[in-house]
Amino acid sequence: MFNSKIMQSSRAQALMLIGPALAVYATFAIWPMIEVVFLSFQHWNGLDPHREWVGLENYRYILTNDAVFWVALRNTITWTILAVIFPPTIGLLLALGLNQQLFGRVPMRAVYYLPVIIAPIAVATIWRWMYDPFFGLFNQVLTSLGLQSLISDWLGDREIALYSMFVAYTWQYVGFSMVLFLAGLQSVDRSLVEAARIDGASRWQVFRHVTLPALRVTLAIVLVLSTISSLKAFDIVYGMTGGGPAQSTQMLALWAFMQSMQIFDFGRGSAISVILLLVTLTIVVPYLRWSQRDEGAGE
Amino acid sequence: MTAIAPRREDDALLLKPRRDPFLIILWIILVTFALVWIAPVVLIAFTALKSNAEVMATSAFTPPEAIAWNNFSGAWARGNFETTFKNSVIITVIKVPLGLMFSAMAAYALARIRLRFGKLLLLFFLFGAMIPFQVMLAPIFTLVNGFGLIDTYPGVILPYLAFGVPYQVFILHGFFKAVPKELSEAALIDGASHVTVFRRIFLPISLPVLAALLILDFVSTWNEFAMALVLLQDRHMWTLPLGLMSFQGQFSTDYGQLNAAIAMTVFPAILVYMIFQRYFVSGLTSGAVKG
Repeated sequence: MFNSKIMQSSRAQALMLIGPALAVYATFAIWPMIEVVFLSFQHWNGLDPHREWVGLENYRYILTNDAVFWVALRNTITWTILAVIFPPTIGLLLALGLNQQLFGRVPMRAVYYLPVIIAPIAVATIWRWMYDPFFGLFNQVLTSLGLQSLISDWLGDREIALYSMFVAYTWQYVGFSMVLFLAGLQSVDRSLVEAARIDGASRWQVFRHVTLPALRVTLAIVLVLSTISSLKAFDIVYGMTGGGPAQSTQMLALWAFMQSMQIFDFGRGSAISVILLLVTLTIVVPYLRWSQRDEGAGE
Repeated sequence: MTAIAPRREDDALLLKPRRDPFLIILWIILVTFALVWIAPVVLIAFTALKSNAEVMATSAFTPPEAIAWNNFSGAWARGNFETTFKNSVIITVIKVPLGLMFSAMAAYALARIRLRFGKLLLLFFLFGAMIPFQVMLAPIFTLVNGFGLIDTYPGVILPYLAFGVPYQVFILHGFFKAVPKELSEAALIDGASHVTVFRRIFLPISLPVLAALLILDFVSTWNEFAMALVLLQDRHMWTLPLGLMSFQGQFSTDYGQLNAAIAMTVFPAILVYMIFQRYFVSGLTSGAVKG
């Protein structure tokens, strides 16, 4: 009797504590995700009170008639693969290096992390200027090194524009992976590393058999976060090329935005969003299940 | 009774002078790489302080000779910084503390109160941390428009809260879960409510984690662009990133002022990072990765 009363009141308190977060989250994050699915089956310009139900027509259109969609899909896949390989690898190498007892490692960590704090739209502005074909830093440096043959229109050439953008993206996000790896490295048992070294293990062997296994969980987190943050590459593309030249650097998130907010075809834009959401879910759901199973085993 | 954990500084090890050739080569590589990494930032700082004539005449990494402070006042006036700066400050100053409070409350309840659907609720929150909102800009616009909140502060703060809460709940939940039972049990048995235990015990001990989350949240709110682009159409409501984008479009050939505009946009985030950064790695470690 006494007990159930306490439980009841603590349940009321829990409700009060969770309430605000849950309400705002469900309304402004979860509801749009449901709404976007409805919108993808409709024809709507965003203003008209009437929304016409068109079934799968929007999907049919973007999959069969919209050439830009396929370019955007290919670019998004390329971008994601690059984003999962390069920033985490460089971040891991930096973290391993800066985990050593080196002079000035604290300021160096700060230097590598600095770009993470800079607004992506400012990063886009900075790099756009450095890539400028006439006044930009890159072509100036190449000229002064006598390498005029390498001078390019970095963002204007559709063969290389995507990769030029990716370099800027890497510059910004390496520090993010680095910090996560540094945090993960703190959980590596120092005495184990030292014991292995004393027993004559090489640096590579220590890394392979002691450090890397200890970083397993961190590695999974970094890879999942890198994948997700690459899918949301929006600001940097919007700011650097706007999807151009000739839609050659278009990405799914930006294309969904343009369809809805600039061409005012909310149906097609939402269909693109749903496809991108499904791609995201195929990565997120297995990860969530894996992390929950891991936690369950630990308890 | 003040149990202060011994500070485990490995800096003491730093002083051990060992001339390991591997470490020397490593150091040289890391320093070289760091110089390349910071070069764009130096470039912005130098150019922001040069007159246009000097930008054209000197090479990119020559320090400015006559410091052109008027780039800043010029960019401030032409770029409408007074408005955008004010808007960014209002939105960030309301959103960040409010969001941290909501998240901490929810994380406490999920971690320390036995609930039938507790685990499910946590998963529900965690799910949101993984979904990029850039994917759903149009439905967010539709929703906020439906509430009549386009071009208002609440209209942008509410979605910011919604997309900030999941990650913070996740991190704080991990932290609260690891707090030993003894700390709260005595107070609860003495009849203190959960709200009191949360306020008097859990909030104070979670300050380092909250500081780390504050940096992350301040930076991402201050820098947010995509949602602001959709929800703030009236230029009187624009935030700094929107202002910078428009400045770049209009005055892209005025290099000194453009770089001054970049510097002014970026500086507050760097300042906040520097103030709170000593909590950063330690706060992240205690919650996120060890989980």
